[in-house]
Amino acid sequence: MNPLACPAPRRLASFALPSVPGTERIALTQVADSVAHLNLPPQRLNKLKTAVAEVTMNAIEHGNDNRADLAVDIEVFYSGSEIIVTVTDHGGRGDSGWADDGDDAEIPDLYRKLSGDQGPRGWGLFLIRHMVDGMEVTVEGERRTVRLTMRAPVQEGQAGELRHIGG
Amino acid sequence: MADRLTSVIDIRGDITAASEPALMAAYEEASQQGARRLVLNFSGLEYMNSGGIGMLVTLLVRANRQRQPLAAYGLSDHYREIFELTRLDEAIGIYDDERSALAG
Repeated sequence: MNPLACPAPRRLASFALPSVPGTERIALTQVADSVAHLNLPPQRLNKLKTAVAEVTMNAIEHGNDNRADLAVDIEVFYSGSEIIVTVTDHGGRGDSGWADDGDDAEIPDLYRKLSGDQGPRGWGLFLIRHMVDGMEVTVEGERRTVRLTMRAPVQEGQAGELRHIGG
Repeated sequence: MADRLTSVIDIRGDITAASEPALMAAYEEASQQGARRLVLNFSGLEYMNSGGIGMLVTLLVRANRQRQPLAAYGLSDHYREIFELTRLDEAIGIYDDERSALAG
């Protein structure tokens, strides 16, 4: 095989959800189901689920303004070493609730929140960054896509089953 | 067993921003019954998101005003890690089980 030929990531799932609060629970379950065969360690899987839920919540609330008629489109890919989840909403031209340059987002600080210096919320972006290995935001017209990546190297076993290696 | 100065609030299902009315009602009831310390039982927690974390911060603000320490037990490894990331574990005493949380 030509080592320079990198196959495109394989799509594991593609689905759309209405922008109704709470629907992020469906997103995290469907994403988890789509990567079940990769045998992620439970703690990694839980992190991925949390990140997917947070991104989906943001898409529902800020990208699509909780409008049930607007869909959040979610796709899951696997590259052989990395899980990729994309979440797309219609928040490209509005206030996404997050700066597209994530570094501008204020870092939540519990003690500043307890003193009233910050509001109690605002933990979503913070959680995502600690749950997955990468996060990118791109905007194309009115569509905004958040791309999450999580390293998940897999070694194919002798019986053809996939085994997860590394942490 | 909780003494009359300590109340245990059992959390079941989801903790999100939508949970605020129920949790605050439980807190108010415990406070009106004279609770000087509150223990949150997370054994029944199924899902918590950033909205739920914000709600716990709100609860902490209210409890701190009343000088009521908060403790918690029953957190899964995943949510313990989230408590550590957010530093909630510095403001809420985390215990392995109810007995140690009550003895806290």
